[in-house]
Amino acid sequence: MLDEGDCVVPFTLPSLDSEGTQVVFEGKLVLLVFIETDCPTCRLTLPYLEKLAVSLHGSSASVFCISQDGDDATRRLISDISVDLQVLLDSELIVSRQYNPPFVPALYLIDRNARIVRKGVGFEKKMLNELSAELSSFAGSPLVVFDYDDGTPASKPGCVSRHLEPAVTGDMATPVDLHAKRGRRASVIELPDDVDPYDYCVRADFSDPLPVIPPTRARVDRMLEIAPGSADEIVGLVPPNYGAATIEKIAANAVMAGCFPELIRVLVSVIRAACDERLNLHGVQATTHFAAPLVLINGPVRQNLGFASGSNVFSNVARANSTLGRALQLVLINLGGARPGEIDTSTLGNPGKFSFCIAENEEESPWEPFHIDQGYEENLSTVTLFAAEPPRGVSEHQARHGRSILETISKTLVTIWSYRVCFGQEALVIICPEHAVTLARDGFTKQLVREFLFENTGVPVRAYDNADGEGVQQVTRYDRVEIQGEPCYRKFETPEAIRVIVAGGTAGKFSAVIGGWRGSVPVTCPIG
Amino acid sequence: MSTILVNPVDEIRRKRQQAARRLATLSGKTVALLDISKPGGSVFLDRLSELLTTRYGVNKIRRLTKPTYTKQAPNDLIAKLSGQYCDAVIEALAD
Repeated sequence: MLDEGDCVVPFTLPSLDSEGTQVVFEGKLVLLVFIETDCPTCRLTLPYLEKLAVSLHGSSASVFCISQDGDDATRRLISDISVDLQVLLDSELIVSRQYNPPFVPALYLIDRNARIVRKGVGFEKKMLNELSAELSSFAGSPLVVFDYDDGTPASKPGCVSRHLEPAVTGDMATPVDLHAKRGRRASVIELPDDVDPYDYCVRADFSDPLPVIPPTRARVDRMLEIAPGSADEIVGLVPPNYGAATIEKIAANAVMAGCFPELIRVLVSVIRAACDERLNLHGVQATTHFAAPLVLINGPVRQNLGFASGSNVFSNVARANSTLGRALQLVLINLGGARPGEIDTSTLGNPGKFSFCIAENEEESPWEPFHIDQGYEENLSTVTLFAAEPPRGVSEHQARHGRSILETISKTLVTIWSYRVCFGQEALVIICPEHAVTLARDGFTKQLVREFLFENTGVPVRAYDNADGEGVQQVTRYDRVEIQGEPCYRKFETPEAIRVIVAGGTAGKFSAVIGGWRGSVPVTCPIG
Repeated sequence: MSTILVNPVDEIRRKRQQAARRLATLSGKTVALLDISKPGGSVFLDRLSELLTTRYGVNKIRRLTKPTYTKQAPNDLIAKLSGQYCDAVIEALAD
């Protein structure tokens, strides 16, 4: 990310009104704001920017929004929320890569000497008010003051900048920079000699109900020595309470979960993915549904740090899986505030709320691993978070053909969420190595697997006759097709809603499907 | 020797919000019913609307709907409720 004090150069981008608008900085004060059209925080920010822009009309200060999306999506956004702003289009992400913000909205205030004097990411009224004061003072324009009680939150984290998203290859798929904001250092607790630290951590409610390793200063410092950033850097604000996940706080929770120090690099990326708006952790943590964030690990870090991807992958088989998954859950409780019985009111819960972390068995897979599907390079490691129901097992030991295996899987896949619900579904299909071998032998690529499952997973129309139950009211929205001669409604809206990985041991023909949570989209982040 | 622990819990101090003043009566008031968009919500709110009008003398019912129950209400919806739109809001869900 370009930093305060760095100088910038003029650039030209198409705008919504012209083919080329040049932005120059000499002698002016310019506020540049990078946005994405599908980022809720950007949407929240735009009306505030409009007020600033209106107040600066006719002055030598100006506000430019730089959309990281194309003309159509940007026009739709501007029309939807009805704002009047100068919007430039950087769909090629050329300027975005120069400025390299980790998140959007990303705000840069650039002075008359083309020097960045202030930068920030996300929505923060305090920052907007400070920017407003600086713009007003420079331009001699009326001061715009944003009310802290105007019904919107005082702050809200943003989304990963488009140029760091994975639908790109080569040198663009680099790890995300750390969030530039800094938080307070954690306070320390001095325990008298007669207090047992293990007992104290349980009594202080620092944990799930299992014992933890006390987060002593020495243990946390050992982790901080190799952490990807300084102790006070904020990786994200953890919903639903939006506690600040500084690297120090993350490290303290990692120690408690039993992580060895090297796991901090992975955990920081996990927390970054957890705080991404698209995962909608706010909803995931507060829902009465079963959902819990499942962590999927891909790339060389699996072997380097000992993540299990084979036999017993969902179980208590490896320290890396078990403690990393638990560390995420402790962060969600201790920083996000999602304590069971309080904000977390899940009806039945999910055993994954103790720990829910798997790795893909890339070695036994006939296909490219998941992170390459997402556009990352093979030698990069990634974490993916998926708001997951518990796994549903699929035993298929008799099928001789790949097609038959998929037909069996589709019969379980159709039951996710609730049998007759056929909208907004996301699923993760875990193919065991033995099934994968048969599928590959029969010519199934991973994409063909997805397409087959999409085409062949449906609920018979007769299941809705005189039915009284979930999914029935929405039937007019469903896509009616024939599956093996039977009129059905498709379970999924697109093949992309079905994600496929290979995991598990090489003995046993047991695959699994995991349903998602409506309103959440899986998020992948590189490990920095 | 004493043990020093690093506090693993969120330490952000949050401003306390004053709860809105409660109405002395619903009679003659305008009440907004915010449906969070779960199936069945309209059935529940229809009945609630009827009871508020017939039993409690509510003058006017205004109905609003969140786009999805999975996320917070959009800001423009919240802003609408915070103005002169209504005297009270009931946010409701039903499955």
